[in-house]
Amino acid sequence: MSYIDILRESKNIMTPGSSACQGCGGELTARKIMQIAGDNSVFAVPPGCMAGSGVDGWNYQNGALAPIHITLLGNTAAFMNGVSEMYQRKGRPDVNIVAIAGDGASADCGFQSLSGAAERNSKMLYVCYDNEGYMNTGFQRSSTTSLGSRTSTTPIGSVINGKEQQQKYLPLIMAMHNIEYCATASVSHMADFVRKVQKGLKASKRGFAYLHVFASCPTGWGFQSHESIAVARRAVKSNAFPLWEKEGNKYTINFDNKNPIPIADFVKGIAKYKNLTSESIDSMQRHADSVYATLKKLAAE
Amino acid sequence: MGNIKALTGNKAATIGAALSRPDLIAAYPITPQSSVVEGLADLVHNGELNSNLIQVESEHSAMSVVQGAAAAGGRVFTATSAQGLALMYEPYFRMSTLRLPMVMALATREMTSPETIWSGQQDAMSVREAGWIQIFCDSNQEILDMIIQGYMISEHPDVLVPVNICYDGFYSSHLIEGVDVPTAEEVNAFLPTPSFNHAALDPRTPMALDPLTPGNILMKYRKSHLEAMQKAADVIDSVDAKFAAQFGRYYGGCISEYRCEDADVVIVTVAGMTGAGMDAVDMARENGVRAGLIKLRAMRPFPAARIADALKGKKAFATIDRSVSFGWSQGPVHMEIKAAVADLDEKFMHFSVIGGLGGADISVDELCDCIAYMDRCKDEACEHETRWLLKD
Repeated sequence: MSYIDILRESKNIMTPGSSACQGCGGELTARKIMQIAGDNSVFAVPPGCMAGSGVDGWNYQNGALAPIHITLLGNTAAFMNGVSEMYQRKGRPDVNIVAIAGDGASADCGFQSLSGAAERNSKMLYVCYDNEGYMNTGFQRSSTTSLGSRTSTTPIGSVINGKEQQQKYLPLIMAMHNIEYCATASVSHMADFVRKVQKGLKASKRGFAYLHVFASCPTGWGFQSHESIAVARRAVKSNAFPLWEKEGNKYTINFDNKNPIPIADFVKGIAKYKNLTSESIDSMQRHADSVYATLKKLAAE
Repeated sequence: MGNIKALTGNKAATIGAALSRPDLIAAYPITPQSSVVEGLADLVHNGELNSNLIQVESEHSAMSVVQGAAAAGGRVFTATSAQGLALMYEPYFRMSTLRLPMVMALATREMTSPETIWSGQQDAMSVREAGWIQIFCDSNQEILDMIIQGYMISEHPDVLVPVNICYDGFYSSHLIEGVDVPTAEEVNAFLPTPSFNHAALDPRTPMALDPLTPGNILMKYRKSHLEAMQKAADVIDSVDAKFAAQFGRYYGGCISEYRCEDADVVIVTVAGMTGAGMDAVDMARENGVRAGLIKLRAMRPFPAARIADALKGKKAFATIDRSVSFGWSQGPVHMEIKAAVADLDEKFMHFSVIGGLGGADISVDELCDCIAYMDRCKDEACEHETRWLLKD
């Protein structure tokens, strides 16, 4: 079945009344993942943009047509580890155990919990929608915020010009946990995205599956909402966000960039990058090249 | 009956937990609790206990894993002490406010700083407003029995609040006493399998567990939690009576009294110091002092009515705290005992005693001195200065 048919024929689990911003990459990620996983699932969505936009529910109302829990910012993977164990114990391994968390809940505050559950190879699909910061609380920096970004805690100042550090590259860190499945995906490449969610769900029956999704953020990053997919596509095409997967010990690059566009073209028109110096752009380019070269080597093994 | 074994407090906790048939155990090692985790791991790895055992990377995750399992309907267990409790505070508070039942053993320990690993009750007392039931034990037998009782209390439909079974680190956790170990059949006959499903993550009954909740609805949840805590006081008493009917051991429910009937002066103790306190009461009695003792077993819910009833007609009381209340220059239990008798007509001579911090011993002699002072001044009805059990 083509990915379009899969999406067309699956039930929409997430509330149609989500208050996410127009053009939100996180909203698209969460909605499509819940759709593919279906209602025989238990979902966890910790504090962040998706919880803030009502996916976990409001007052006495559910925000999804499936059981869902707003985990703590720092305990999503551990909590779902417990849920998963009970479903194995009850003889109901068919129930999908799915976490959908932002980069703060995955790379920062929730990193220990995520790493622990991955090391234990707990049976679940854990999805990080990475919008490179704490966008729900007003665009503060996280460890996945890219170098030079303007955020509300890394402002463009007269002394310090945006974020001073390169982003933490969480997907490879997760791959090193020897989990069942590890992949990156982008809202701009839906065929690849749908295939990886399906693979991840399948792998979650054997152990830990991790999916890291590039979730473009018009409101926090500063671009027009209709440009969201284009921005995500440029991230892939420039190797700022390469698409790859690891199954068992095998790495595959899924979108092989023969002629990547320069990072300078990726950052163009995005307000959070508007004060990038040429040195910063060079540094980002070197970082992207280096990560991609590492991935190429891993994929060649 | 009659299967007496020589057990440390931690081993008694391990056996109590195992006999309660938990679906899942998640724990992380910390002194002085570690041998509880080790003991349970031994049982699971040797096929003697059919529980899912999750070796987590921190106490924050220990409480999170058991929270997830309880939200999926499982009976769960963990154990910790001091810094571990502090680290797990975030999911700990949430366990009670999600109203998910469970039992956690707490081998109580002093809080750092100064750096310490030894006994004290500062850890437990610091979380007395986290919505959990807290029961303190003074013998290894009581630890084992109360873990089993704890599940029945926690899973009671009128309660649905998690339970801490607290006992002194080292003094109880590591010292050996004779313990009558019930058989699995006996415990199975007493403790049914869990059937709570009020907060369940299950696709067959899809619900949002904890949607964003505004103040007025949140207050209804809080109010119902407080009401459940009040009911828990009765449930603690009735479960203890039920346990006594089957096993022949009765602890008195929320409090137990020793030689209080005709007492003028009463000391209030918590957990392991109770043995020394009873000796001190006996010695005072030999000297003609009408002394008695109240062992506070439940710190939460606080058995205010039973305390007031027990102290009615007495002249003086002193509370022995192994922790402090910063800002009150006394121990937290003393503050609460005072509040419990505030509405009685009589006035008491009373004072707070602070001792046993950071593993220091609370000796019989020191408690004898407290009783003697109390007896000397028993007609000066007012609060006297806090006494610190400091050695020179």
